[in-house]
Amino acid sequence: MSSQIKNCYRGRAVRPLKPQDWCDRLMNLREQERKSARIFLVGMCAFLALILGFPTIANIWFSFNDVTFHNLTGEGYSGLANYREALSNPKLWEALGYSLKFGVICTVFEVGFALLLVFILHPLLLRRPWLTAIIMMPMMVSPALMGVMYRLVLNEFVGIVPGYLDMIGVTMNFLSLKHIQFTVIAIEVLQWTPFAFLILLTARQSLPYDLEEAAAVDGATGMRLNIMVVLPLITPAIIIVSFIRFIDSFRVFDHIFVLTGGGPGNSTTSLSIYIYKLFFKQNDLGPAVALSMTLLIASLALLYFGLKLAVRRNDR
Amino acid sequence: MKLIKSTALMASAITISASMAFAEITILAWPGGEPEESLRQIVKSYNETAGAEIGSTAELLYFSRDNFFDKMLADSAAGSKEFDIMLTATYNVGKYAPFMEPINDLIDDDLMSVFPQSAIDSQSFEGNFYGIPTDLGVHFLYYRTDLMDELMSNADWQAKYAAISMEYMGTAMQPKAPDDWTWDDYMASALFFTKSINSDSPVRYGTVLQLKNLLFNVMIWQGIAASYGGDWMDSDGNITVDSAGYRRALELYKKLVELEATPADSLSYEYAEANGAFGTGRVAFYTQWSAAYASLVNADEFPAIAGKFDITHQPAGSVGIKTHFHALGLGINAASENKDEARAFLRYLGTENAMKMYIKGGGQPPVVGRIVSEVAADRPDMVMMSSHAGDYGKVMAGGTSSSALDIYTNQAENFTGYWGGQLDIDTAIANVEEFMANEFAN
Amino acid sequence: MIVTERKPFDKIVSVSRWLIFGVVALVINLPILSTVMTSFKKTGDINTSPPVFLFEPTLKHYAEVLGSGRTDFPSYILNSLVIGTGGSLIAILVSFPAAYAIVRHGVGRSWLLPLVTNIRTLPLIIYAIPIYLMYQLVGLLDSWTGMILISATISIPVALVFFVGFMQDLPLDLDEAGKLDGASQSDILWKIIFPLSRPILVAVLFLSFITSWNEFLFGLILTTKVAVPVTVGATFFVTSYGIKWGATAAAMTLGILPPLVLGMFAYPYIGKSMLSGAVKG
Repeated sequence: MSSQIKNCYRGRAVRPLKPQDWCDRLMNLREQERKSARIFLVGMCAFLALILGFPTIANIWFSFNDVTFHNLTGEGYSGLANYREALSNPKLWEALGYSLKFGVICTVFEVGFALLLVFILHPLLLRRPWLTAIIMMPMMVSPALMGVMYRLVLNEFVGIVPGYLDMIGVTMNFLSLKHIQFTVIAIEVLQWTPFAFLILLTARQSLPYDLEEAAAVDGATGMRLNIMVVLPLITPAIIIVSFIRFIDSFRVFDHIFVLTGGGPGNSTTSLSIYIYKLFFKQNDLGPAVALSMTLLIASLALLYFGLKLAVRRNDR
Repeated sequence: MKLIKSTALMASAITISASMAFAEITILAWPGGEPEESLRQIVKSYNETAGAEIGSTAELLYFSRDNFFDKMLADSAAGSKEFDIMLTATYNVGKYAPFMEPINDLIDDDLMSVFPQSAIDSQSFEGNFYGIPTDLGVHFLYYRTDLMDELMSNADWQAKYAAISMEYMGTAMQPKAPDDWTWDDYMASALFFTKSINSDSPVRYGTVLQLKNLLFNVMIWQGIAASYGGDWMDSDGNITVDSAGYRRALELYKKLVELEATPADSLSYEYAEANGAFGTGRVAFYTQWSAAYASLVNADEFPAIAGKFDITHQPAGSVGIKTHFHALGLGINAASENKDEARAFLRYLGTENAMKMYIKGGGQPPVVGRIVSEVAADRPDMVMMSSHAGDYGKVMAGGTSSSALDIYTNQAENFTGYWGGQLDIDTAIANVEEFMANEFAN
Repeated sequence: MIVTERKPFDKIVSVSRWLIFGVVALVINLPILSTVMTSFKKTGDINTSPPVFLFEPTLKHYAEVLGSGRTDFPSYILNSLVIGTGGSLIAILVSFPAAYAIVRHGVGRSWLLPLVTNIRTLPLIIYAIPIYLMYQLVGLLDSWTGMILISATISIPVALVFFVGFMQDLPLDLDEAGKLDGASQSDILWKIIFPLSRPILVAVLFLSFITSWNEFLFGLILTTKVAVPVTVGATFFVTSYGIKWGATAAAMTLGILPPLVLGMFAYPYIGKSMLSGAVKG
């Protein structure tokens, strides 16, 4: 407010305006600024329209036509046939179920471990922050390469893990049908727990020290401090991390593809791998594209309603 | 004036040499091991000789094995010009023919003096010839000579062998030399050499199966079905996957998996892992592509089995000895802009000289008997390979059609699903038959 | 300051913290350590089971991987470098002004921000097909340009969230002071805020670069030979070499080196920015 007055008085004598006029002037100014600010969005919008807009439109077109590799421009309008074919395939629902299960299990373990580690390691890392870097290393590695590395490490004959397990008398075949699910989940958890750990650690470290002092006065130290004081305060961070990790685990492709290719049979075929197989291993591209469209609409809808819910909660 | 003249001279000189610029061609070939190495040598020698004459250089490109065909199909369908020469295989010439350029003009007396007609046929589809054959793929039984010798001479072992086969197979069996094996002997020996069944076994597993959801693994297994009379179709065109032969073969593998005579990780194994298992001396014998011989023989890389293994044909079934076989080749991408140069390379590749170089380096082309006997000393496996292809080779009815690749893929998905316990045998077979019926109806 | 009486207990607790740290660090980094070790082992040593720990190191595998002749590994590294850098720069260039508009003027907050963050929730494979077909039409398949555009698209959501979070923490006085001096919006953005954003820009640059470098799916689908990134190129080694774990390990070590090194510098920012951006955005 004072700045507006300064602006008006600069260099000339002006009668002070009534409060109502100030409001109007302010509004006008802000309107102008808003209009010119829209330009700043142009770059982003243009870019996204180009890269994602065209494919979306193309997706729509392809999904209603008969497209094969032999004829990429489509052989004729086929209406909803592609959608019907895509959605009626039981393998789709298997893959969807798999992705959901995978997402939930991984998220629970990742966040659980991360929380535990934050409680245990926080004092240590407070004094020596550089140690965190060592824990961060796995998440810097490409998941695809991580999968290949595990292929070596878990190999029954030349791998280091079975080699040493053997010495203590445990034979465990990590890539066998009995254990493959465990392996695939464990790889994801081992790689991404550091991510959850980092976020939760940051949240923990941003809590003011006075809090701990005050709690100590009431007799809450150590684990009690963690559970009764820290945990409730970092709950927003926990929710955010869980959300992010669930989405990422749901979309899993890289390390499973490299390790098992979706097998044995179809037992580790996540949704992304299923779509990949549909596209590349069949002549019929229509169902693959139709499926992609369905997923796009589904996730947009989900987010839209999710946002509405969140906004409503905020308004209360 | 002098300046202008000399500039003009230089300019014209540059233009002339520019029009003779190198046309570079790219060859998309099959990755892995010694054949890859020796193809490089051929490319190098081409660049120095025939290529240099016409001002063309060739270079190689590889995709990863796992999704090789997916990518090749996607790219060639998209009209990609990234490779001028691409891979052909007996089982997919039909599928890729729309994207390839026929090379019937390369069939001449010179070519026929290097390759037998069957090799040419293996790269042909509907009367057109599409690829110079480069590698014959058959399957051998690789086995440890020290273990087999011991088994044949050790009475205690033989007693145990009989006991184990009695317990798990219902009949007491006597060990035989691998050359005389039937699939029952294969099973009995696998059980005998598995440590969890026979604590006296010096190796951990009798055999190692490749059960990853990959079409090549079905090809390896297919010999068993064929040896029991199995085929894709009968002479009337009916699909005959649901047959005694197929079931017997499927159940053989299933039993080996259940009894853990193969590493439990086998469900994720393919070429590399299986070779690793045998090469580190933990497995007594296994069936594998003939290409593995050249790698396994390298004592530096596989000290554990150096000098201790040999190869023979696959065991016999009720109908005799059968092996799947196919030939890989190199042909021309229809979208290529350098077809003349590509032809020149292929012509060079098909000469006796180049083929001999390829053989020396570790490749295994399906050449005429005369050439095979000339290189017999260096490559005993080539002799065996050629004779096996002739004597035991079986191509499934419809195995060279345009749907062959997709059928193999579908079989891999269903059969590995069965072996992995996801499907029961009837569902797996029914799925395969339904898919094949659809494919052949189109 | 709270005075603790039980000193020996503290010692045990402290030691056990270190122990747990050590175990966790070892377990999660096991594949990385094993791969790096394998890359220096002789092939004979690699193929022995059980695996050996003390061995004579060799650089043979690195020579094999980097020496052209086999695959063009150095070019894979170059491709990843170019794609990563290009993508990050474009993402920053496009997101920075957008973040300013969203935070300072509320423009686009209700639709653009959620839309962009939605990109991050999609399984990107659903765009792989049409982008493949689209690129084929315009000839962007297997090109640096094509991959850079994809890399930028993937990095934009993260960049936007970080920038939004950062700018929300910037005091309004800065803007006001600028307006006093008659600065336009553009000036305020580039001449005042941009220089102050150095730390966050570095963080976003590193993070986007790492994300691009680690991208696999689009690299797999959209490249053939010219623009193949390291992540895809490394998998050629696994299956094409079959049994040659040594070369594979060397290739992978090289493939994870840049993001690891950069990550060591960037990770402190990730936690803070992600938290503030996500919570407030």
